[in-house]
Amino acid sequence: MTLRHTLAPLALVLAGLTVAASAAEPLKVGLMEDISGDLAVIGLPKLHGSQLAVEEINKAGGVMGRPLELIHLDPQGDNARYQEFTRRLLSRDKVDVLIGGITSASREAVRPIVDRTQTPYFYTNQYEGGVCDANMISMGAIPEQQFSTLIPYMVEKFGKKVYVVAADYNFGQISSEWNRTILKELGGTVVGEEFIPLGVSQFAQTIQNIQRAKPDWILTINVGAAQDSFFEQAAAAKLNLPMGSSIKVMLGFEHKRFAPPALNRMHAAANWFEEIDTPEAADFKKRWHAKFPNEPYINDMGYNAYAALYMYKDLVEKAKSTKLADLRKVIATGQACIDAPEGKVCIDPKSQHTSHRMRLISVDDKHAVKVVKDYGTIQPYWLGQIGCDLTKKNDRKQYTPSDLPKKS
Amino acid sequence: MLKLINGSQTLGATRAFWLPFVAVVAAMLVYPVFADAYSVGNMAYLLLWVFMAMGLCLVWGYGGILSFGQTLFFGIGGYGYGVLAINLGGESATTVLALALAILASGAVAAVLGYFMIWGRIGGVFFGIVTLSSTLVLAFFLGQTAGPEWRVGEARLNGFNGMKDMAPLNVPWFGGEPLYFEGVPLYYLVVGLLLVVYLGLRILLNSRFGHVVVAVREDPQRAELLGYDVRKYQLATFVIGSMLAGLSGVLYTSWGQFITPASVGLPAASMPIVWVAFSGRSDLTATTVGSFLVLWTFQALTVHSQQAALLLMGAMLLATVMLAPQGFVIGMVQLVRGVFAPRRRREAATAMAEEGGS
Amino acid sequence: MFAEIFSFAYQFADVFAFLILAAAGLAIVFGMMGVINMAHGEFIMCGAYVTVGLVHAGLPLVLAQALGTLAAGVVGVAVEWTIVRKLYKRPLDSLLATWGLSLIVTQGMLLIFGSSLAGIGTPQGSFSIGAYTFSTYRLVLFGCALAVLAVIYLVFMRTRFGIHARATMQNASIAQATGVRVGRVYALSFGLGAALAGFCGAMYAPTMTLMPTMGAAFLIESFVTVVVGGANVLLGTAPAGVVLAVVRTALNGWGGQIIGQIGMLLAVIVVIRLLPEGLSGWLARRTR
Repeated sequence: MTLRHTLAPLALVLAGLTVAASAAEPLKVGLMEDISGDLAVIGLPKLHGSQLAVEEINKAGGVMGRPLELIHLDPQGDNARYQEFTRRLLSRDKVDVLIGGITSASREAVRPIVDRTQTPYFYTNQYEGGVCDANMISMGAIPEQQFSTLIPYMVEKFGKKVYVVAADYNFGQISSEWNRTILKELGGTVVGEEFIPLGVSQFAQTIQNIQRAKPDWILTINVGAAQDSFFEQAAAAKLNLPMGSSIKVMLGFEHKRFAPPALNRMHAAANWFEEIDTPEAADFKKRWHAKFPNEPYINDMGYNAYAALYMYKDLVEKAKSTKLADLRKVIATGQACIDAPEGKVCIDPKSQHTSHRMRLISVDDKHAVKVVKDYGTIQPYWLGQIGCDLTKKNDRKQYTPSDLPKKS
Repeated sequence: MLKLINGSQTLGATRAFWLPFVAVVAAMLVYPVFADAYSVGNMAYLLLWVFMAMGLCLVWGYGGILSFGQTLFFGIGGYGYGVLAINLGGESATTVLALALAILASGAVAAVLGYFMIWGRIGGVFFGIVTLSSTLVLAFFLGQTAGPEWRVGEARLNGFNGMKDMAPLNVPWFGGEPLYFEGVPLYYLVVGLLLVVYLGLRILLNSRFGHVVVAVREDPQRAELLGYDVRKYQLATFVIGSMLAGLSGVLYTSWGQFITPASVGLPAASMPIVWVAFSGRSDLTATTVGSFLVLWTFQALTVHSQQAALLLMGAMLLATVMLAPQGFVIGMVQLVRGVFAPRRRREAATAMAEEGGS
Repeated sequence: MFAEIFSFAYQFADVFAFLILAAAGLAIVFGMMGVINMAHGEFIMCGAYVTVGLVHAGLPLVLAQALGTLAAGVVGVAVEWTIVRKLYKRPLDSLLATWGLSLIVTQGMLLIFGSSLAGIGTPQGSFSIGAYTFSTYRLVLFGCALAVLAVIYLVFMRTRFGIHARATMQNASIAQATGVRVGRVYALSFGLGAALAGFCGAMYAPTMTLMPTMGAAFLIESFVTVVVGGANVLLGTAPAGVVLAVVRTALNGWGGQIIGQIGMLLAVIVVIRLLPEGLSGWLARRTR
């Protein structure tokens, strides 16, 4: 036997050994969630959702046989920290996938950095929509899913005159744009619009303005603990108008945190809220509360964070690779879907946003939540409609109804 | 002029200082050889904030006026760079022009605001309040610029989501491709600038100008009676310190291609005060070294113990004020001196005794 | 017609109440001792949290609010004794120290209690005039603001402590030379300032969301009022409240809340420039 003959099988054995080792080598998940600071009440369920998903996936054998390793950093809601940690996770820890960010500002801080790499970035919050970026996969609900269901319902049920109370920054202003666009098609009118700076907590003037304008219902897209004082003050003044929102109840679980009847007559359109009553949802809730018995509420962001890891698992296993280009090939087929506790969720190839099963909920004066209407699955159609097609080009921009892609 | 690097206004004039200084600089220059790309980039990031701290040291430590406005000028520098870089195109020389103009813009605003305050005889605590109010006004204003109508030329201010897509600093380089200041090149740029600014400030502080500034801090009336126009010196100090904050702003925006109003308002506005108060505002070297230490420690804390980081910062600030009001780093220096000094005194005493005896 | 006039008066009363209640405690501490208490918001938060905690434990609201106020006062005395006492001649250092304290308290509260506490409803009902409905409780807040001003006046003008306090404010060393126990005056004054802050928190707790950082919502307004009012809390705070309430109400009505907020900050800058000693300095000079 020549040396070559002994070496060849030896090489094969060694190769087999290294393959086996990398089969057990973990997949690193870089997670940036705020669990301290003002956003902690929303951020903590997100961390828990990721932790639960990692535990379940690893118990079931991991992703392609590889366990998930969660590396979590807490940026405390500071954009500079988000930038630092993104670089750290990408360059130093060399994570395979990046998840996280709560505010749109933090997401916009992360995107330029992650766009220079081949790492996928899952943004798991509902937001104002419009990001057309090949590195980003958005797991949250967006205006065409939330406002296109909520506003027609409110107009039909309560009337065409709307007063808008919005937080005075991008999310509030873009959501207002959406509201105006949708209302115009329905023949409704905005009888008043107020943009409240973050941190303002006194609303006596706003309540008076609302009463002067005599709307049929109020669109409440105010953000932050200080601005949430609006509900208590409006209830105390017996304003008692129906309210609609894309961010109350399922995001900050105000109906659990404020004394009734502050949130009476609130309506929201959500892909997830803890009160969903299906067998899958019940099972999911049971598993969550088993691991986190003190969780005050499983909010939609926490749920999206959980679903994101399952979506990542599905993508990697279908692509048989962790490379962004291969994952995107799977997305382009339109077959990137998972069976989530809300229902079936698929990634839209053109925008890389997910479809959602939308339900409309209302809150009564005892703060009990009721499902009023089930809209089935709604696709994230808007970005594709205005010209974003990530299967063809990577715009890397965020569009809004008043800032559309230039027709080239 | 180089003689002025050493003087009575700055700590550290002997070989005991300069030898370790050279060693540290040498270590900084060879650092990228040993460290990985992430660490180098991170070090550049930590160092770019030091300019703002040095500026505050100049204004507050040497000038005696507490300015809460460092992040105001940080924001003007950062947004200014963003607007200019986006509008001028972002290739090579234009980014350097953007850097220069942005810093000048911070200086110009500082001159106007400073003139308003100093010629209006606003001093002490009220100076701090006015600068804080100005900073908050800018932060609030920028926060509500989300709509597409808020743009300067091509550059959208974009409210809270922040301005992005500006090119990082780059210069024309040999071989066609411009040299982008990111990673290792950015590190060397920041280190180079740091050295220049540090030595430059030492010269400035030990010069006649620096001595007058300190005299004004100690007793403005006396300085005035001696014939100096106190207001001009205060204004000059304020403008220089603010321009350094603008430099930090430009470097930050170039580093991350991103800037938001959050970098301007509270709690960001309080950070330079914490760094400088902790380090010891009355000395430039103490501030430089101490600020870097605080930044580095804070980052390490937020990575490892997260929620406790801000709490520890608060504790540090309180402890410094109660136990070492002149600054932690200065306190350490004095402690070290106290340990070594008795021996020197003893030696001097023995020498004198011998001389006296002979 | 009447409804419109009443509505405007109600808005003014609401803003005035907020400014006075938020600023009273800070004004006393600053006016008396020249200490800029950056932890002022945390005393407000203390009053609010103690009140809500006690209500959840079953106590009636009014008693809980009284105890919340007291708790903040006690904490204030403790803080004065341990920290502030050493920093009287050093205004910038007292600013930094109280700031450090503020960071410690807010982060500590976040760690211990989490970032949100379940609220309590606003008591009392509402009444309507014309097309508007108003919360009755906010009139109570206005009443409290007036009561606070009256209490401050009575304490400082009609009690022995008040005389000692005013003497110390004017010239501490002479006051000490005449036998006033200046240390005790300072401690009680700081405690009074903290108690007033706690009272603000206790009264506003039923109307707001409770977070460890809720003090920040009061901080800007209270600073603005104190700066505009000047060092003499008796002479300056109430006029400052009136002027700023008018400015804020008008700007809110005209341009919205962001204009109102920016307007307040610009007002600070203008007042500092034109009336460096605030309204109290200007009024004092005119009455001489």
